[in-house]
Amino acid sequence: MDYRRDIPLAITFLVGVIAVMDYYTTLKSVTDTFTVIKNWGVVLYAFALGIGAVNLFRVHGRRISERRRADWPFSAWLLLMIVMFVVVGLGTGQFETSSQYEWIYNAIYLPIDSTMYASLCFYMSYGAYKILRARNFDAFLLFITAIFVILGNTPLFPATFPVFFHIREWIFGPIVGGAYRGIRIGIGIGAVVLGIRTLVGLETGYLGRR
Amino acid sequence: MSAWEKLTALPREVVLGLVLIAMIIPVIRPLGLPLMVGTMAKDWYDTVDALPEGSIVLFDIGFGAGGYPTLGPATIASFHQFFEKNLKIIIMATQVAGSMMYPLIMDAVNPETIYGAVYGEDYVFIGYIAGTQTAMAGVLGDLYAIVSVDYKGTPIAQIPLLKDVKGADDFTLVAYITTSGDIAEGWVYQAYSAYGKDLIGGMLSMMTTTMKPYYDTGQLLGLLDGVKGASDMEFLTGHPGDAIRSSDVLSFSQTLVLIFIVIGNISYFGARAARKEEF
Repeated sequence: MDYRRDIPLAITFLVGVIAVMDYYTTLKSVTDTFTVIKNWGVVLYAFALGIGAVNLFRVHGRRISERRRADWPFSAWLLLMIVMFVVVGLGTGQFETSSQYEWIYNAIYLPIDSTMYASLCFYMSYGAYKILRARNFDAFLLFITAIFVILGNTPLFPATFPVFFHIREWIFGPIVGGAYRGIRIGIGIGAVVLGIRTLVGLETGYLGRR
Repeated sequence: MSAWEKLTALPREVVLGLVLIAMIIPVIRPLGLPLMVGTMAKDWYDTVDALPEGSIVLFDIGFGAGGYPTLGPATIASFHQFFEKNLKIIIMATQVAGSMMYPLIMDAVNPETIYGAVYGEDYVFIGYIAGTQTAMAGVLGDLYAIVSVDYKGTPIAQIPLLKDVKGADDFTLVAYITTSGDIAEGWVYQAYSAYGKDLIGGMLSMMTTTMKPYYDTGQLLGLLDGVKGASDMEFLTGHPGDAIRSSDVLSFSQTLVLIFIVIGNISYFGARAARKEEF
């Protein structure tokens, strides 16, 4: 018997069966048991965040000590910021409710993250100009769809010509909706099969490399 | 290089520079270009509007700093409507940074001063709960089992609004605004499919294509898509803000992108025709 393999498989089977029973039955004992499991899930997820932070220290700490890559100062800056956020959070004992913590978040992280996200707009603009060309029939379909979606999404055009709004709605409805439902049903069936295979121990990928 | 070929390969600096200018002009001088309120945002507004006074709404802040410029205005406008309707709001975050968005949103809504709302009686923030769908299932299944204290560290049993709230049966409506596809679809599975709760969702425009099928089938009763949905909500609630101001920027910049796409195609076919003539 391989305990390293069989014990996780048994735990997965038990938790999976309880989760399925909770969904399809109203037995109080099952609901209570699954509530405890959900709590464990939340705690484990929070631990995963902690492990992520430890891993960041390992990876970037190695980069700083080796100094082989030109971008090692960014690694140092990342670790400095992590330490600073933790110290400010623990120092005030209030974590995110502390005004100091809120200030460093709003003054440093908020503008950086917003800027990173906003810069996408420029890349998408340039990408649209370079890529959306009707080189063949497939590309023409993509091109014409993109034109109508942009016309429908730009506030000025539907307000002036409501037909653009209705065209966009039509594209999003029968065309996109129909295709997406097909994809979604496929994903759903795949997820059910994967779930069953995981429950009965045929799928062991989640156990990691062995 | 022919004129056509030059047009097909405009330098990146020129294209991006013009897009930047198209964004800056309406910021400096707002034009107040017309708006058309979409049906998805109108349905969101009507769903909330139809709720009886005192109904309990579970609201999830599912975005962080990156999503705030796009989704913050929609959240602020939604909270204005919640407070105007005298609804009771239980706020949670399924994204870590959601906790940091809460004070920004509340500073903008200012419910104590404008609506006379009281924290703990009319609204409460139970903070970030890890686990995404596990967190959703936990809050809807047994709130007291998954949350012990609120954002300020007060035990939830001592919070008047939460005294009688145990789980899904006590929520009249579930609402969320998020940048994450997992959160957007997760609420459909956990709130609508598992408990049949009325559900409304807000998200980035790029997520609309994947979430609109849920709106078409009635699983989502209303949908706010990005800045467009936010500006619609600001218009409907009568609280114009950043989204309506951004609408001019959207109109200007997207029109320019459209022009670039057309230029790209005309020049592409022009260059191809010129090459054929040469042969």
